[in-house]
Amino acid sequence: MLKAKNKLGLIFFPAYDWAISPTHPEREERLLYTQDQLKEEGIFDVEGIVELKPDIATDIDVMRTHFCFPDVESVTTQSHLISAGGAIRAARAVLDGEVSSAFALVRPPGHHSMKCVHGNRGFCNINNEAIMIEYIRENYNIRRIAIVDTDCHHGDGTQDIYWHDPDVLFISLHQDGRTLYPGTGHLRENGGPGAKGRTINIPLPPHTSEEGFLYVIDEMVLPILEDFKPDLIVNSAGQDNHYTDPITNMNFTAKGYAMLNDKLKPHIAVLEGGYSIQGALPYVNLGIVLAMAGIDYSHVKEPDYDIRYHPQDEEITAYIKKLKKEVLNNYFSPMPDYMRASPGEFTVRHKNIYYDTDGIHENQKEQIKTCKNCRGLLVIESSSSVNPPSAGIEIPVDGCSKCKKEGYALMEKMWKSREFVTIQMTDRVDKRYFRYSQY
Amino acid sequence: MRLGIDVGGTHTDAVIVDQAKGVIAKYKVKTLKEDLLGTIIHSLKEITANQDISKITNVNLSTTLSTNAIVENRLEETALFLSSGPGIDPENFAIGNNTYIINGSIDHRGSEVLGLDSIQLKKSLKECADKNIKVFAAATKFSTRNNKHELTIKEAAIPFCDYITMGHEISGLLSFPRRAATAYYNSAVWRIYNNFINSVIDAMANIGIKAPLNILKADGGTMPLEISRRVPVESILSGPAASIMGIIALCNIKEDSVILDIGGTTTDIAIFAAGSPLVNREGAALEGTPTLVRSLENRSIGIGGDSAIKIENGKVVTGPERFGPCMADGGNMPCLIDALNFKKIIQYNNRDASERGIIELAKKNKFKADHLADAAINFAAERINAEIEKMLFELNSKPVYTIHDMIHAEKIIPKKIYIIGGPAKALADVLSGDIEILVPEDYDVANAIGAALARTTFETELFCDTGKGKMIIPNINVEKNVTRQYNLDEAISDAKTFTREYLRKHGIDINLDELTITEATNFRMINDFYSAGNDIRVKCQMKPNVVMYLHK
Repeated sequence: MLKAKNKLGLIFFPAYDWAISPTHPEREERLLYTQDQLKEEGIFDVEGIVELKPDIATDIDVMRTHFCFPDVESVTTQSHLISAGGAIRAARAVLDGEVSSAFALVRPPGHHSMKCVHGNRGFCNINNEAIMIEYIRENYNIRRIAIVDTDCHHGDGTQDIYWHDPDVLFISLHQDGRTLYPGTGHLRENGGPGAKGRTINIPLPPHTSEEGFLYVIDEMVLPILEDFKPDLIVNSAGQDNHYTDPITNMNFTAKGYAMLNDKLKPHIAVLEGGYSIQGALPYVNLGIVLAMAGIDYSHVKEPDYDIRYHPQDEEITAYIKKLKKEVLNNYFSPMPDYMRASPGEFTVRHKNIYYDTDGIHENQKEQIKTCKNCRGLLVIESSSSVNPPSAGIEIPVDGCSKCKKEGYALMEKMWKSREFVTIQMTDRVDKRYFRYSQY
Repeated sequence: MRLGIDVGGTHTDAVIVDQAKGVIAKYKVKTLKEDLLGTIIHSLKEITANQDISKITNVNLSTTLSTNAIVENRLEETALFLSSGPGIDPENFAIGNNTYIINGSIDHRGSEVLGLDSIQLKKSLKECADKNIKVFAAATKFSTRNNKHELTIKEAAIPFCDYITMGHEISGLLSFPRRAATAYYNSAVWRIYNNFINSVIDAMANIGIKAPLNILKADGGTMPLEISRRVPVESILSGPAASIMGIIALCNIKEDSVILDIGGTTTDIAIFAAGSPLVNREGAALEGTPTLVRSLENRSIGIGGDSAIKIENGKVVTGPERFGPCMADGGNMPCLIDALNFKKIIQYNNRDASERGIIELAKKNKFKADHLADAAINFAAERINAEIEKMLFELNSKPVYTIHDMIHAEKIIPKKIYIIGGPAKALADVLSGDIEILVPEDYDVANAIGAALARTTFETELFCDTGKGKMIIPNINVEKNVTRQYNLDEAISDAKTFTREYLRKHGIDINLDELTITEATNFRMINDFYSAGNDIRVKCQMKPNVVMYLHK
């Protein structure tokens, strides 16, 4: 019988009874053919591969990561909580030593969900990876984590959540935002004032192929990871770079994904997008599973590979080679943030966010305190087309007693002002998560 | 009257059950491993002596023949033809010395991607002819969606072989490696099984039994003789299932329960949910090789009446080894039975020998004899309890694939434990915790009762792609053209009707309401911009059950 070289946990949750809408790419059918392929290959019988049932994420798990307006229940369905719970189960399996790595094949995806949540954007409500990572940081003695987002779309949600976090390195490779949703993920987006160089964007030209992706991994991602030395590597495993994907323009393959995974060796992979559900997903997922388990994947190939896959244009190769210097500079010698407030003061960002799936507009004022003793108190005031002014206050993981005191005092003051219908407190130091609400 | 025989590893049991009077004859004899046929003939003669043979309506046989042939590797040289297309290297699934990999590919929708390489196939067949191999098996990837390549192999192979198994005929489930292994074993035991069955039928005729013969399967059901001739592999591992069916007949099981069958060497554990035995979703594993043979959820641990008692690192350990019978039966090493005898929990054969053994072992290891016996019994009870807990935990944490099942799926929480087998009564006292423990009457031949009373089981899987306008039920060779409007209700009705028709053809007359639909899904498929039809799947089952109950 076939044996896995590395013990792998698979959390397979296809949510066969959930869709955004009947013909939406994020519909019931999405993982059906992947399950057919994995079953037919006998994946679940391979010695060393175990299938695990997802957990269901709790409100606290979500509040630890997000500011949900007006509350968690209003912006999630059971499906979202199971999807996030699937990622948590993957983490538990790895960190409790049940397996050496785990792959959460769950839907719906999450990487477009930002710190504040008013609804669904880019098919995502809550951020599965971030909820998992915060679960890990609260329950295990792990600080430094790297997320490598290989979805074709920029992981703007994950970037937003970790923008100010020096302990979480976020690397996103994606189709250039000038040509695809969500339109962000440019080289200049490089992390907040206290976390410069901890957000690394690698925008790739349309039609990037196997050669280009693997070059990015070898020449940019791996050297950065080697320097960062994370305790844990998480892969946001979107599969929409595939040459058959209906909503993107890249030229990647199942074997390419397997090779990428083999090089990256993530401890945990979490499925993101990927909407070529018949032509790509069964093969890409199989490739990733085999690569993670340490089983030969050289026979994994799409039926139409020889007809539809083309090697990379020289122009594209040259362009990606030019990117290397910029990307490495962004990590190794990021530009200092001249806008950063002086100690004791807040750096302010104003943001307008559009939720494409739900058609919601959000206005945000984000403030982060410059603090000498911790990464600083975070305060976000947010209003949207569905919610009156609301607010979130976060005392960070390493929050100092001064920031903590200030956070609670601020919450009382803001509440008394009656300007906000709901205020969420996220106290990572004392693990207290609650809200004041006028509802 | 129904006659049931269970040929087990140690004993062969036979019973005759009368519709009105219950068990009217029972017979137990040691199994002659080298002469299973002799054992069966002998048992048939003994059990029917003094009975009105003409009143026997059914003979149901559970035999270890195929299991033994596989476990002891007494298999006929078999050629296995595999065709897989992209995925895991098919070389990993080679079994035996004659696996031939033929190029060709069918994808997960059942579309042919690459035709089967006929030149390679011809060359391989010639090689088989040169080696004088006479039984073949063919398994191609996704053959349950499109059996074209398996049919092509069969067509080409017929002139060269006496028999060929096609994977899609065994089961509609997905799993290429399981399909390959099951098809291979099926062909490898085909001849030995058919010869054996022919002899059993001759013997029955000589005795004067005219009733039809049915064969027990691992899922606790029977199959008609004629079907069993084509799928002899389905007869493996039927013994534990027969016992479980016996318990169903003997006890009025209504709620979640645990069934323990405590033998000499092992204890078999089965779980019932709401009174029904759980069927394994994928299929039984044979010698570590997973197959598509449907079986009851059942697990065996090395604790039995004859499990040896040892001292390991200062701790008293019972099993899993067995070095011959217990001392009460004339053995040389104290066993679990001896400990129970010593503690006067049971009164079994030579109690003096048991006492002697326990006292000697205690002395040698500086234990108090009483303490040693207690520890040995507790160890066995704890091992069994731990395994039950583990099994329940695994069953309760099995993955599910819908939000509905995640939120609403009920957990199995046993209310009762039923114990059968030799040391059943003795261990019942020791095992008792918060759960009620029951030892049914007639348990010593529960296996044969189960064999006698088991009804036919069968499973079919319907797969339909309305976009392609095709509906198939692979294991009964149904293929039907359908319209774009074909829906789930029609599919459910088709699955039931075609299954009943197939069983009728083989002499099993059933009502449609005896068939259960265990899965029914309907996915709308979208291709680019428009609906591309529906993907409809229906699983239809004749569930394991008994034809009558013996409990009062």
